[in-house]
Amino acid sequence: MSDEILSFENLTVQFGGVRACDAIDGHVKRGSLFALIGPNGAGKTTLVNAISGVYKPLPGAQVRFHPAGQPTEDLLSYRPFQIARLGVARTFQNLGLFMGENVLTNLLLGRYIHEHTRLIEGGLFTRRAVKWELAARQAIERVVDLLDLGAFKREPVGDLPYGVQKRVEFGRVLAMEPELLMLDEPMAGMSVDEKQDMIRYIYTAQDELDMTVFLIEHDMGVVMSIADHVMVLDFGQKIAEGTPTEMQQDERVIAAYLGTEMAEG
Amino acid sequence: MTAVENPASQQDSTTYRPSPVQRFLPFAIAAAVPFILGSTTENVNFWWKALITVVVLAVVARMAWVWTPRGELTHREDMRLWRTPSDRSWAAVTTFGLLVLPFILASDFTPPMDFPWATWFAVVNLVLIFAMGAAAFNLLVGYSGQISLAHVAFLALGSIVGGIVGVQWSGGNMWVALPAAALAGAVVGAISGLPALRLKHLYLLLATFGFHFVMMLVWREYLQEYFGFVGIRFKGENSPRIASWLHWLPGIDPDDNGEFIITGQFRWYWVLMPITVLSILFMVNVVRTREGRAFAAVRDRDVSASLLGINVARSKLLAFALSSAVVSMSGVLASFYIGSRGEDSFNVQTVLNYAIIIVVGGFSSIQGAIFGSAFFWFLPEWFKWAREELWIVRDIDFLSDYPSEIDLAIKGFLVVIILMFKPDGLAGLWKDVKGWISRSLARRGP
Repeated sequence: MSDEILSFENLTVQFGGVRACDAIDGHVKRGSLFALIGPNGAGKTTLVNAISGVYKPLPGAQVRFHPAGQPTEDLLSYRPFQIARLGVARTFQNLGLFMGENVLTNLLLGRYIHEHTRLIEGGLFTRRAVKWELAARQAIERVVDLLDLGAFKREPVGDLPYGVQKRVEFGRVLAMEPELLMLDEPMAGMSVDEKQDMIRYIYTAQDELDMTVFLIEHDMGVVMSIADHVMVLDFGQKIAEGTPTEMQQDERVIAAYLGTEMAEG
Repeated sequence: MTAVENPASQQDSTTYRPSPVQRFLPFAIAAAVPFILGSTTENVNFWWKALITVVVLAVVARMAWVWTPRGELTHREDMRLWRTPSDRSWAAVTTFGLLVLPFILASDFTPPMDFPWATWFAVVNLVLIFAMGAAAFNLLVGYSGQISLAHVAFLALGSIVGGIVGVQWSGGNMWVALPAAALAGAVVGAISGLPALRLKHLYLLLATFGFHFVMMLVWREYLQEYFGFVGIRFKGENSPRIASWLHWLPGIDPDDNGEFIITGQFRWYWVLMPITVLSILFMVNVVRTREGRAFAAVRDRDVSASLLGINVARSKLLAFALSSAVVSMSGVLASFYIGSRGEDSFNVQTVLNYAIIIVVGGFSSIQGAIFGSAFFWFLPEWFKWAREELWIVRDIDFLSDYPSEIDLAIKGFLVVIILMFKPDGLAGLWKDVKGWISRSLARRGP
């Protein structure tokens, strides 16, 4: 039990008559790279939204988060900002950046939960405010170096190319230093080179920064090469779970991805 | 990322650090010279003062420009409010300008073409009060994205607190009324922000407008209960004054009756300017630290902000509280400066005026609020002068027959022009000008 960082059971999210996620169970091992795959509309993002507190699942669901050295928390009793403070960070499929602000501000916002400057201290720019601000910038420095963002620090995020924006968002969740990092299609719309870089960054997060990675990805090739454990969703149902090699040979997975007739033919 | 070979980046890589003395010297000069000029007011001709002013402006701008850290900046240097040569240069110029302005305005001087010199001082003081209120309004509406029409309600709250604490309790003690108004403004502001937790955009606008009318009702009841139809008198025996135990301070020269009453434009300037500058600096500091960044995050994407660990509800209420506290303080200042507040001192038109100020000045820019209120107050003065004095224009009867209507029309027309061609307002225009000056200076080389 103790090596599980996240477990969810009987997780159902319903929009009107549509069950976007239907009674899904899953267990994420600490330090592993857990991949969630499935065709469009399978309910992958909904599942992440339910875990991070944006959507409320139907009663009967359980989501437990177990930070290292701390008691297990029931995430369903918390609001999104509290879940973030417990150590769960996530990125968005269509970027959750603040486009008008520059890269530095966006990254510094990732340090929000680690800084403790109050409004009045900030306004008076007291010694304490300066101390926290310096600490935040030093923490950002490492992320900037890792992700090669130094050249863009003062640029408004909205003016940057898409691949860089994706990196900035990844940098922001790294700056939060979460225990569980949930990445919603971090490689969507990227070139092959950029994908290679992103894979390297994800490895760094997992190995050097000791984060558990929960990855949603479309690109089967990427998932098969880097994931420790794969879960496949289709139409809100969990259709298979296991190691990447098992999944590659699973008929239901092939059917979901390629269509039934193709698989038969 | 490969390093691009270009002269500019090589120039940047030359590391330079000014000594601590060099860092502060331009600002020390900018702060000292005005008082040296001021202490010789009677003897020195206006034109000499103007000449000295221009020379000192050029000198401090140049010093601040040259003595700026260059090259790879440390975090501490990168964090400074005035970081680039251009920032530091303009900061020195502004410091000098703000300090020298009252001495120039107070000097005996007949401008060419009967330019209305004497009225300028009053306008400058009004600009200071409005800049403070508009900056706070912009922090809420522009920067935090919480549309509110309750602005004038907090000016009224400032007058109420000024009336209760400053007039009824302490007989003209504005110094106590100011923090009291800030406190009351913060508490009432947070309450007025409660609808923001559920409503956005137009709906929030309507909810806060409701709050405006509630506050107007409170204001009228308060007036009738304690002051009747004459309104509150903040002048005369209620004027703010410097307590006698502070008369030893330099520059405090008590009047014949042994009191130092804040009256007249010159003395008011020295009260209003520091308060405005400090409160604007406070807001600028908030914006560049943790909670201020959270305001912007909540404005842009509240879901994304909450997943960064920001308590969106708390952040919105904080923005309301901060803005309302500063606006209430500016309400106290306006009451004591203008001298009386009556039944019809606050109306819906004033909300629109502040909206014009922040739109013209530049949405979501605190600097823009200063430009906006200067625009708002100086423009009518210029129009008035043009109608009465300017060659040809003064002969057009139509203009002097409908002065206020034409003022309003021109103002409205300019607002439309600015919105169409410069959506980031005067602050954006100023940024362009600054950029142009910096570039043309850089081309010539330091």
